Amino acid sequence: MASVSELYDVTWEEMRDKLRKWREENYRNSEQIVDVGEELINEHASKLGDDIWIIYEQVMIAALDCSRDDLAWSCLQELKRQFPDSHRVKRLAGMRLEALERYDDANKLYDSILQDDPTNTAARKRKISILRAQGKSSEAIRELNEYLEQCVCVTYLFRYVLFLSSALSSYAKAAFCLEELMMTNPHNHLYCEQYAEVKYTQGGLENLELARKYFAQALKLNNRNMRALFGLYMSASHIAGSPKVSAKVKKDNVKYAAWAASQINRAYQLAGRGKKENKCSMKAVEEMLESMQITMS
Amino acid sequence: MLKLTTQAYCKMLLHAAKYPHCAVNGILVAEKQKEKKKEGHTSTILCVDCVPLFHGTLALAPMLEVALTLIDTWCKENKYVIAGYYQANERIKEVRPNQVAEKVAARISENFSEAAMIILDSSRFTMGCFTPILSIYDHLDNKWKCRDPSTDSFEDWTEAQKITSALLESRSYENLIDFDNHLDDLRNDWTNPEINKSVLHLC
Repeated sequence: MASVSELYDVTWEEMRDKLRKWREENYRNSEQIVDVGEELINEHASKLGDDIWIIYEQVMIAALDCSRDDLAWSCLQELKRQFPDSHRVKRLAGMRLEALERYDDANKLYDSILQDDPTNTAARKRKISILRAQGKSSEAIRELNEYLEQCVCVTYLFRYVLFLSSALSSYAKAAFCLEELMMTNPHNHLYCEQYAEVKYTQGGLENLELARKYFAQALKLNNRNMRALFGLYMSASHIAGSPKVSAKVKKDNVKYAAWAASQINRAYQLAGRGKKENKCSMKAVEEMLESMQITMS
Repeated sequence: MLKLTTQAYCKMLLHAAKYPHCAVNGILVAEKQKEKKKEGHTSTILCVDCVPLFHGTLALAPMLEVALTLIDTWCKENKYVIAGYYQANERIKEVRPNQVAEKVAARISENFSEAAMIILDSSRFTMGCFTPILSIYDHLDNKWKCRDPSTDSFEDWTEAQKITSALLESRSYENLIDFDNHLDDLRNDWTNPEINKSVLHLC
């Protein structure tokens, strides 16, 4: 089988840089990480310098995702040899046990880390992940809530609770998490847009108006966020179509919806330039906007 | 009774394979029936295609509404009708439909009485695809009842098995586009013409 470098005509430096990009942007494209990382380790280890250790870690985790226990094991051995008493490596050993569904053994490992270092967030997070994997979602949320009360402003924890809450359809909790996240990350358009989606899902006129405001805010922060644009259109349309609103509110929302519709059309036109296949999507969008305007008026 | 074509089955599995660590869901479409059926005569309805919707968080309303409306318009153009809903849960051990699945499937069955809800069983998902890995639920007496598993639910099981396995081996799922991908970049085509071509090519 051809090597990655042959197949894609890349140098080892490009492969190393790709791995760094995937690492920094938290991609979970594990099959590709294993392909590229394994070749890098096998053929170019000597050239990687100190980068090799973080690459071992990245490849090991990807290997667990792909059931490549052989690769995960060899990466772990290298890391154990280089960093014999490291908590970070211990946590990786724990993750391997989790992948093998040996949850009790994994928990023992994490507990020993926490005994040494009670503030170790990585070990805490893994224990909660085990609860999730075992389907004990409400226990997981409880543990997270306890942990949140002890810690100040831990973004990833809020994101985690948010994820779980959305999965369990606890919209109120999800909204609360997003409010915290928006406070500490006011420029993040994704949190604004997700908050709007949660509010919309909760339903009711007040929530719809809140949703519309936050979709608009997300667009202000990033005018290319399609979800925010569609969301603005949907929420404004629904408000305008509601029998409970005043004539002025209706008029305003018709304006917002019309603006959003024209922006959506424009975005599709730009995307469809020169591509015949996209005509179908474009037409579908046009018709959707037309049909909603009919129900609105 | 709803039956699945190779193309529909293939794309469902490719969607699940692309995001093994997430829940995924999507819509099934069938060809619109022209003739009226006689009373008591149950005909076979063929699910000819599916549209992969989301991965990760499945439970938020606005984008689902947008997707359903767009798909509806696309269906009208192609004389299709939205005929079903599929979902693969995040945990492979969870093989029963949850609240989200029941809600969406119920909404679909309002417009199409023979709608089906399909839950993928990822614990039996293999590259060889030797057995069908889905549970099909039909809406009977206001409840969702699981069908007995059988290859009768497929138009041509042997073909479906062979082609799905081949596409998994060649990692075609890397190019599968779902509605989330479309919202990230409008140029991504959720009708997946390239994958449809590959399926036809292998038939």
